[in-house]
Amino acid sequence: MTRIVDPVLDGLRQQILRMGSLAEEILAKSVSAVLKRDAALAREVKIDDLEIDRLDLAVDEAVLRALATQAPVADDLRGVIAIKMMATDLERVGDLARNIAKSALRLCERPEVETPEKLRILADEARRLLRNALDSFSSHDAERAAHVLDDDDQVDRDQDEVIQAAIQKIALHPELTSPEVDFILIAKNLERVADHATNIAEDVIMVTEARNVKHASKLAGSESDEQGH
Amino acid sequence: MEDITPDTSRSPIYLTKITTRDLNVYYGEKQALFSVNLEIHENQVTSLIGPSGCGKSTFLRCLNRMNDVIDICRVEGKVTLDGEDIYRAAVDPVQLRARIGMVFQKPNPFPKSIYDNVAYGPKIHGLAASPAELDEIVTTSLERAGLFEEVKDRLDESGTSLSGGQQQRLCIARAIAVEPDVILMDEPCSALDPIATATIEELMEELRENYTIVIVTHSMQQAARVSQRTAFFHLGIVVEEGETAQIFTDPKDPRTRDYITGRFG
Repeated sequence: MTRIVDPVLDGLRQQILRMGSLAEEILAKSVSAVLKRDAALAREVKIDDLEIDRLDLAVDEAVLRALATQAPVADDLRGVIAIKMMATDLERVGDLARNIAKSALRLCERPEVETPEKLRILADEARRLLRNALDSFSSHDAERAAHVLDDDDQVDRDQDEVIQAAIQKIALHPELTSPEVDFILIAKNLERVADHATNIAEDVIMVTEARNVKHASKLAGSESDEQGH
Repeated sequence: MEDITPDTSRSPIYLTKITTRDLNVYYGEKQALFSVNLEIHENQVTSLIGPSGCGKSTFLRCLNRMNDVIDICRVEGKVTLDGEDIYRAAVDPVQLRARIGMVFQKPNPFPKSIYDNVAYGPKIHGLAASPAELDEIVTTSLERAGLFEEVKDRLDESGTSLSGGQQQRLCIARAIAVEPDVILMDEPCSALDPIATATIEELMEELRENYTIVIVTHSMQQAARVSQRTAFFHLGIVVEEGETAQIFTDPKDPRTRDYITGRFG
């Protein structure tokens, strides 16, 4: 039996998957613009991001309508709430890709410098996490979502390495300060992309298993700190 | 010195008002309830939900022995109010129904004045020592039912002259007038418009300060709005019972989820 709410929920899921695929695309484009020193590609990112913003507004409206007219409960309710939160995360991924594209434009305007290998690895990792988070959503796969949470730590470490290497390079070659600062900014933006992928994975776990795992390790740490005092 | 203050931050303290143990109900050969074990918490609203014929109204009627009046109905098991078995031979069902009042689906005021509708119970139970005391009970009951301001100048008019929502509040005032501990409500808003429904729902929230309320409702949203606890009945058994917020966000049993999300059937 098809419920009246089913097409409404399907529509919301389709909107999120469309947003997710656009966010992946725009992120890939911004990274390519950096690696290939492609200013035209970087400029496309700005335009593509507007489409994500439009979808974000459409999801807002559809979520409000679904809550008002369908009064969802249980897994339906968790699904609608998760979709609202995911839309916010994906919209932020669009903004971060735009930031990366801005760095790409600045890098294109200056003499070419070698892109750190670790930055390429970081970019691949951030993109992989976003893809896995979105796949876990489309396949209702909490186990896959949990792997995204685990993998985020490696992204943090990669980011730290890129930043440390850039700082050392600036100390040795002050004339490279501008491009190295952009590598730092790109690394930070990629790390934030991975954080948003993590948020999406947490939402998937909330929908599929009704478990809120947000801030779990941080809160567990603070509780053991409190008990220790 | 060891701190023995109980930690109430995680589990709020509540008292159990009514308990049912292995409650089985039969209508002739047909069994309507199967070994129902449920606790009704004091000063809380408990919603009983489930598809038609699932046994929730039968269960409600067991709580004040309304099933006694049905010849073919047989009740087995235990129902306790404040720890005392209400099915003991020594218990007078009429006195019991004063302690556990009932409000029905369709407002059913007596064909008497508004005043007499409320005064009837206290009179027959001898709760007022004087006419002035009776006046006081009627006024207080109408106030608690949120109706006094609307009817104070026409207490001698017929109760049936009131609107549906007002009649239902009159029935609540009538139940309150005999100083019950518990109020049972069997789909009390199903015949009311949304505004009258909202008034009754607000009233339930106020009443639970002094009374324990059990409500049968077919409206999932009403159960979610008004109750602190919810029990889902299906085919004569309690499938799941728990805090209302948990039932409506994270039901543990797939049958509960299927029912509240409309996947049932």
